[in-house]
Amino acid sequence: MNIWNRYKKKMQRNKKKDQDASNENENSIDKNLSVNINKLKQDLGDSSDLVIRHFEMGGEPLVEIAAVYMSGLVDEKNVNEFVSGALNVEASIEKRAQEYRGVNSFDFIKAHAHSVEKVTVVSEWDKLLLAVLSGYTVILVDGYEEAISGDTQGGETRGVTEPSTQLVIRGPKVAFTESLGTNISLVRRYLKSPDLRFETMQVGSISKTDVAVMYMKGIASEKVLREIKKRLTKIEVEDIIDSGYIEQYIQDASFTLFPTIYNSERPDAIVGNLMEGRIAIIVDGTPFVLVAPALFIQFFHTPSDYYQNFVISSFLRLLRVISFTISLLTPSLYIALTTFHPQMIPTPLLISFAAQQEGVPFPLFMEVLIMEFTFEIIREAGLRMPRAVGQAVSIVGGLVLGQAAVQAGIVSATTIIVVALTGIASFAFPSYNMGVAPRILRFSLMIIAGSFGLYGVLMALFILIAHMSSLRSFGTPYLSPFAPFIWSDIKDSIIRQPLWSMITRPRLISQQNVQRQEKGQKPAPPDAVDSNSNKEKGD
Amino acid sequence: MEKAKVSGWQLFVLMLLFELGTAIVINPGLDAKKDAWLAVLLGMIIGLLLFVVYFALYRLYPDLSLIGYGKKILGKYAGMSLGILYLFYFLYIAIRDLRDFGELLTASTYIYTPIFVINTIMILSVAFVLWHGIEVLARTGEFFFVILMLVGVVGTSLVLFSGQIDINQLRPILENGWMPIISTLPATTTFPFGEIIVFTMLLPYLNHPRLCLKAGLSAMSISGVLLTWVVAMDIAVLGIYVASRSAFPLLSAIGLIDMAGLFQRLDVAVVLTLIIGGFFKIAIFFYAALISATELFHVKKYTSLIFPLSIIVLLSSMSVASNSVDHIKKGVELVPFHIHLPLQVGVPIILLAIALIRRRMKSH
Repeated sequence: MNIWNRYKKKMQRNKKKDQDASNENENSIDKNLSVNINKLKQDLGDSSDLVIRHFEMGGEPLVEIAAVYMSGLVDEKNVNEFVSGALNVEASIEKRAQEYRGVNSFDFIKAHAHSVEKVTVVSEWDKLLLAVLSGYTVILVDGYEEAISGDTQGGETRGVTEPSTQLVIRGPKVAFTESLGTNISLVRRYLKSPDLRFETMQVGSISKTDVAVMYMKGIASEKVLREIKKRLTKIEVEDIIDSGYIEQYIQDASFTLFPTIYNSERPDAIVGNLMEGRIAIIVDGTPFVLVAPALFIQFFHTPSDYYQNFVISSFLRLLRVISFTISLLTPSLYIALTTFHPQMIPTPLLISFAAQQEGVPFPLFMEVLIMEFTFEIIREAGLRMPRAVGQAVSIVGGLVLGQAAVQAGIVSATTIIVVALTGIASFAFPSYNMGVAPRILRFSLMIIAGSFGLYGVLMALFILIAHMSSLRSFGTPYLSPFAPFIWSDIKDSIIRQPLWSMITRPRLISQQNVQRQEKGQKPAPPDAVDSNSNKEKGD
Repeated sequence: MEKAKVSGWQLFVLMLLFELGTAIVINPGLDAKKDAWLAVLLGMIIGLLLFVVYFALYRLYPDLSLIGYGKKILGKYAGMSLGILYLFYFLYIAIRDLRDFGELLTASTYIYTPIFVINTIMILSVAFVLWHGIEVLARTGEFFFVILMLVGVVGTSLVLFSGQIDINQLRPILENGWMPIISTLPATTTFPFGEIIVFTMLLPYLNHPRLCLKAGLSAMSISGVLLTWVVAMDIAVLGIYVASRSAFPLLSAIGLIDMAGLFQRLDVAVVLTLIIGGFFKIAIFFYAALISATELFHVKKYTSLIFPLSIIVLLSSMSVASNSVDHIKKGVELVPFHIHLPLQVGVPIILLAIALIRRRMKSH
């Protein structure tokens, strides 16, 4: 066994050595055009979407030229402009010949290739391959060891549409798309400032996914920015398909149910976060943009909280936090109260509970557990079904499992109400990935409540709160501004103060450029303003 | 010592939770009969003076804990033995509080649950929280402080509005003169106010040392006033005869609430406060014992001691007394006079005196 392994390793080493050696030869562009073309065809496996267009240029001697691109990844119009501009086909032959005399053809093409963006000279073979595979058009000239590449990226992408996961009543109806360039432009349109910076890097050894780190210079914390970039460069994987990959590689703690990085598909949410000093990570190929550092309470905010009256927003935020608590605690409290502390329930209600429980074959704990589990199944089943089948799921779930189960005397009606309340409450807060935590914790809390009553639930809450307050998102305590308590940040947490009174940025996110607006912008009727100014004059 | 920082507000919250802890349920000073509330108030004032003594020691050695400056003041060997004494003191009080807590819970709501199970769950949660460090304990405290205050406000207003309070139960004030009050003073001073000595172990973590006195005095006076109010309320609701015979007067007082048939038998809410308070009391004593041991025996990380010490605390809490009556008897007769008084009052004052004399001699 050992010998075999050693042999295998040796073989692999030799193979690698061979590859390295050949790579050194291969990593340069040959002088001969046809050799290059053949190598390209060979490297891409004679792929059918590889387009090679041959040209000839100049009078005596003729220079052979080839333009190479992948058909699905480019904008054909751009390619034509690039190629024809570069080769200057429109110019008259004599002029071309005149101009051509004395200058080498490569420089001539380069000088004329300005009809598209990002025209560069490529001299390494793997860069050439990457350029072709990224949707660039590469012009190879016979007799030269360099090539010219131009950005002709295009092809089919999804247009900008309305957000599908984070709906608001009032506010911009734009969502990010899968294209990095579009996403950056969507953010830029909101912030016409030179301080909006982004740094792009490539992650994934095979996929070479573009990842952009976006921040407001002078507002975002340099420390967090450095940390994010450090963690991003540390990632060594083959492919990044979604921003979820990045999130899992750079988050502070893996073994937690609570998300420590915020994500959104709404540009306005990202802009608001950037202006608070947070840092956005945009990944090519996904409409969900990551934001760090994230706080627990942030997952209960929606962009529209800032667009409407602050009283309504505060009420809604409070409502969301309460519904989070309901979805986490209702079943376990129900179990604990009815089985351990029935004296706490008002007598008429207790009698009604007892009457319903009569004839039900399971203990209450089992009953609630089964129904909660059934609810989770219905929820998961309804999520990914085609719309036509989805209705059937809801009928079966609602009618058969709900009403019929009660009528058959298998579960009590109160249990159904408790389960339904839990379910509805779990839909009432805006973030899907925050919803995961109560869904799973609910079950363990139910088991604890069934074994130890309220005391067990409270002890579990102690552990839960301690766990949450031990979490950090890029150095920021997760439960702030509540624990540690920061009075100045309460203004935009579970409540939202009027916009004119939120003078400073959140303190723990960034200490740079703290004041975001001038004081004294409270709107007032004109006569009140007059009397104030008079008073000031009098003073 | 771990690398951690606690803010002034967090210290205040921890102290308040610690002071209210179990005292809000087991009312101290009921031996003074109708004037129990006065005994608590006076105990608080003496407690404040004690805290000034601890604070003076802290001012002299702002980077050191009680164990640390004990060694500095008394020298290596005497300081070491004093440190071990305090280690056992903190450990013993943690054990006693755990037993207290278990007794209360089994007597009030969990009649059929073995006390061992209740204590195990408690020590497990305490160990989990302390494993994350003092910062997490402080943040958890901030969270539950709000819950405790909400329960308190709701409970008190329900008592007020349900019309159970009869102010005449408290009259006449000073019926038997000052003597009963003075004789209960040692008990009310040491429990819960003198127990604040445990915070001498935590003060070096404070991020702004100038906030120490403010946080300590305000936490002690607010908790003292709250305790005075609760004791007075219990007597006013129950009458002194029921209150002094009841094991948990607050439980009985809250149990009398009946509003519109909807809010009734809220004694579980009291148990809730007991659990929250008991948790922090045990946690803080246990933490103090942990860092005393790490400092004394030069252990690298206090987390490595959590598991063995929690086993010790758990098993000792079972064997510290043969039964509930024995436990309470020890708590009333033995602990305040033979343990609390010398360690909370005597030793710190002597330490301060020696430190001050030494300083003066040095400067001359």
